[in-house]
Amino acid sequence: MSTGIAGDFLGLLAQNNLRPLAAEASTRAPEQTHATTVFAFRYRDGVLVAGDRRATAGNVIVADDVNKIIEIDRYSLLAIAGVPAMAFEMARVMQVSFAYYRRSQLQPLSLEAKVRALARLLRENLPLTLQGVGVVAPVFATVEAQGDKMVPRIYFYDPLGAQFEAVAFAASGSGSGTVRSVLSFQERFGEVKPSTMSLNRAIRFAHDTLTVASEFDSATGGMDPARTVWPVIKVLDGNGVRDVQTAEQIAARKEGA
Amino acid sequence: MTEEPFRWLEAIANRREYVQQQIATGSPVFAVSLDAGILLLGVGSGQSKVFEVFDRQAMAALGHPADIERVRNILIDAAHLEAFTRAAADVNVRRLVSFGLSPQLKQSFEQIFQAPFMINLLLAEVAEKPAQDVLVQVSFDGGFVIQHGGVMVAAAKPEQVPSVTKWLKDSIDPKLPPEKASLVLLLAWDALVRNQSLPETVDLTNGLPLACREQLTGKVVEAALLERQSVNLARYVPLTPLLTG
Repeated sequence: MSTGIAGDFLGLLAQNNLRPLAAEASTRAPEQTHATTVFAFRYRDGVLVAGDRRATAGNVIVADDVNKIIEIDRYSLLAIAGVPAMAFEMARVMQVSFAYYRRSQLQPLSLEAKVRALARLLRENLPLTLQGVGVVAPVFATVEAQGDKMVPRIYFYDPLGAQFEAVAFAASGSGSGTVRSVLSFQERFGEVKPSTMSLNRAIRFAHDTLTVASEFDSATGGMDPARTVWPVIKVLDGNGVRDVQTAEQIAARKEGA
Repeated sequence: MTEEPFRWLEAIANRREYVQQQIATGSPVFAVSLDAGILLLGVGSGQSKVFEVFDRQAMAALGHPADIERVRNILIDAAHLEAFTRAAADVNVRRLVSFGLSPQLKQSFEQIFQAPFMINLLLAEVAEKPAQDVLVQVSFDGGFVIQHGGVMVAAAKPEQVPSVTKWLKDSIDPKLPPEKASLVLLLAWDALVRNQSLPETVDLTNGLPLACREQLTGKVVEAALLERQSVNLARYVPLTPLLTG
């Protein structure tokens, strides 16, 4: 076995003098790019994870076509908010780590280990987080095997690496305050609770939630069908991760019109 | 001893004989390019013989289980480091073998105070078209053969391999579904293990012949497909247990 702990990809990287999140902060650091609003909520058949496509640096819109919902493996999604440079690196480490463990140990990583893997990466990023550079606050959705069933779970993290399981929903990024308010209101007082929605209804609800968030937060891109800017939406259920393509989102909107 | 070239050559020759004796009873493994993907198959007595290496790469091996594990880990470590430092698309079996595995096998074999790898393995990498598939056979001394598409066999007795490979090429239509192709591979496995001649025609209307089924009693057939078309990055799909004796 090549690494100290069997199947530990970070150990293998260290043996080869590779330090994925190593960086020195500078007081003259340039304006950082931030990925903004992402959220996850339970719907009738699983978990829906959505994010706008905007990345900003101060008052500058850096890009309006960013994918912040990243498939880590067939049963895990990472929604990133914060500095994409660090967040994308964390996602890449997780993708390779999970696959490395599964192939080398001939079994998938457990739910607890997946959840802790992200916490570990956030803690490794602690020096930059404490200096206000490279802050990442992700949402992580994955599944837990319960007998023959695969039950989706949602976790959110603070930038220091503390993990919390969300019962019904979680949100992160600059528009998350508004998103949480909408989700909380709908779950408690709405006629149709998100957790009972069909997929198409949940897609429309995600659209509407992002639209409201973009009205109160300039860094949230929302959606702009006229410019063919649609959010990224992925769903996670017992069969794994599935991308909800633009055509399916358009069809879901038409159904509700 | 190593100061004298003659003694070194003698030691290497003894070593080769020793390794060949050790793996002489090893169960053959197969890789075949089909339209559906690359099918890998092995028959074991409990321990695994077919493994996923990376997204589009897999291996099948015969030999000492501990050495199969060592080689598997060498390949998996190298593939994932490459994927992380460069990209998943940069991982390929040609580089894994020629720059990673083969030199290590050769060094272990020729360092006469070091334990040699007792292994004979096949590596496969699925591509867009069967003719672009890469199949590699790697020997315990680090020697390797690369071919595109077709059939590859790794057996304990190398002299058996050419005739079996030719028979399999003639008998397996690439359009065959993997489950059917597996049965043809099992006929070849049976002939190799029992040192029998291969049937002139393949007739599987009643399943595998009785003698073959008896030979499989108490063994586990392990097969996997590297899918050619898939929505998943990881193309490895286990097809086992296909048949347990």
